[in-house]
Amino acid sequence: MVSLESDRIVGALGRRAGDDPGIAGVVQSIVSIWNEIDTTLRPILGQRGVAMLYKRSLFLTGAAHGWLPRVAEVLPAALDLAPLQAALMQQGNTVALDGGSALLRTFYELLSSLVGPSLTERLLRPIWDNS
Amino acid sequence: MSTRSTITRLATGVPGLDEVLGGGLPEFSFNLIAGPPGCGKTTLAHQIMFSLAKPERPTLYFTVLGEPPLKMLRYQQQFAFFDAELVNGSIHFINLTDETLAGDLDQVLHRIVLEVEKHNPALIFVDSFRSVVLANNAGGNAHNSLQQFVQQLGMVMTSWQATTFLIGEYFTETDANPVFTVADGLIWLRQSVQRNSMVRKIEIMKMRGQPTLPGLHTFRIDTSGIKVFAPARVLAPLSSSAPKGNPGSRLGTGVPKLDAMMGGGLPQGYSLLVAGPSGSGKSILAAAFLIEGADRGETGVIAAFEQVPSRERSPLLAQLIEQDKIGLVDTEAPDLSIDEIVLLLISEIRRLGATRVVIDSLSGFELALAPTFRPDFRESLSRMVSALAAEGVSVLMTSELEDRYTDLRFSPYGTAFMTDAIVVQRYIEVQSRLLRVMAVVKVRASAHSNALCVYEIDDKGIQVGATLPEQEGLLGGRPTRKQLSRTSHGLSDD
Repeated sequence: MVSLESDRIVGALGRRAGDDPGIAGVVQSIVSIWNEIDTTLRPILGQRGVAMLYKRSLFLTGAAHGWLPRVAEVLPAALDLAPLQAALMQQGNTVALDGGSALLRTFYELLSSLVGPSLTERLLRPIWDNS
Repeated sequence: MSTRSTITRLATGVPGLDEVLGGGLPEFSFNLIAGPPGCGKTTLAHQIMFSLAKPERPTLYFTVLGEPPLKMLRYQQQFAFFDAELVNGSIHFINLTDETLAGDLDQVLHRIVLEVEKHNPALIFVDSFRSVVLANNAGGNAHNSLQQFVQQLGMVMTSWQATTFLIGEYFTETDANPVFTVADGLIWLRQSVQRNSMVRKIEIMKMRGQPTLPGLHTFRIDTSGIKVFAPARVLAPLSSSAPKGNPGSRLGTGVPKLDAMMGGGLPQGYSLLVAGPSGSGKSILAAAFLIEGADRGETGVIAAFEQVPSRERSPLLAQLIEQDKIGLVDTEAPDLSIDEIVLLLISEIRRLGATRVVIDSLSGFELALAPTFRPDFRESLSRMVSALAAEGVSVLMTSELEDRYTDLRFSPYGTAFMTDAIVVQRYIEVQSRLLRVMAVVKVRASAHSNALCVYEIDDKGIQVGATLPEQEGLLGGRPTRKQLSRTSHGLSDD
């Protein structure tokens, strides 16, 4: 069930990137979604809360996508997307899109495992409504 | 037309809480929910919030250090009242961790005011307030600025027409905490531990402008959230209640001979105490009383503290329970309070429109109560009897009676005076047999027999027989055969 629901955020990424995106378009779509996640969740979870979930998602997704960066800070104070952006730019379109999708999916499932599918859907709904 | 300010009272959505609050929560009040960790503060706040939040009544829930919001959302979702659809709609959670970590109360207040102006909420929660206090202590000069902070917060919230809750812990009641002075309402939650039992209690220590119910009230937390057990006397009386049926009419007990002994049955609306030793047939009489009612189309309620009526032991009663003609009050929850039982009884009575109630037995009832309530058992029983009387039902209570042949007592609790009628059962030894006798000791404002009648219990229930005129000294347990006398039959068989 969780994976089906997390398809929506991946779908949002696909729609934003368009049919034939250049690498810059892909990266921009991924980063824009992360910024919206941060904007949506930061008021509720705090910026440290969001940064920690992001760190955990990178850790989990990194096993299958080794080129994804890790968050170096032990206790990140805020979401820092620059290393992700840089790493994405090094990849081809497909690899970047795959990795970016996997990362978003992991994040969605992580949040879902903590606060449940319905609240996760409720919180992140504006992101795909906006895509 | 009155020109006084009118205070609207909000229904909290927590069963029983509005009664204890004295009619609900005053709108625009500034309240503190306090108590030790684990006492249900956050749950109470969430339950009130999810019940009150509406599009026209937006709500802000500020989380300060304390419990991480991720966990709070995770755990509060387990309650039925949690509605994810309201989040980011009528309800906004706002995290103040960064402001609190900075240790500057002005910054915390600043952010709160900004958010309040942005969302224009009707309800505001700050959880937990203790973190604010601690953050303030870190900055030095604790007392003054905290007082200022609370005072300003109270002023801002009230001016902005918001009903506010601060959620805090570790407050000591005797402490002259500035929050206590500013707050309009103080709701204190406690966990009372005695022996191995824990009972949750709530106290409204202060609620400006309304008649709250003083004292500690028990509450329980289950998957539906918090339920407060308000004393039965404040429950809204039913218009149709008291007394049911024709006043002055009599109810059959299911044992015709006993009805005759009572002068024609149990008067409607009376409470009857059936006292007797173990095995004397009290529960059988209680079941007969309910079954007799069902035969006449009446419904009943039973609180069975000793054994739940089963198909094997009392098939008829079990069948009536299955058919919902007799309500069974669940007495298996641990650490019961008297108010909880009374509430359960009354809600069943009202649901079924019941006229007959059985409590089997008072001894089992006492054991089912949490230890903390046992010293007050007599007072509690008296409250229960009057609450049931107010419902207009007729009650049969059984009471275990240790067979003592040196004194004639009717209940171990000194409860005999509370009931309107008493039937006592005893064992006696006659010609090397253990026989049972019963007598009607009292039926208030009614003539009744004074005969001690032998009775037997067979497949059909209780069969009351005649008196034993040849025997005397029955109440001593070992009657002796009277030497003689055709003329003096001390006990009459009417």
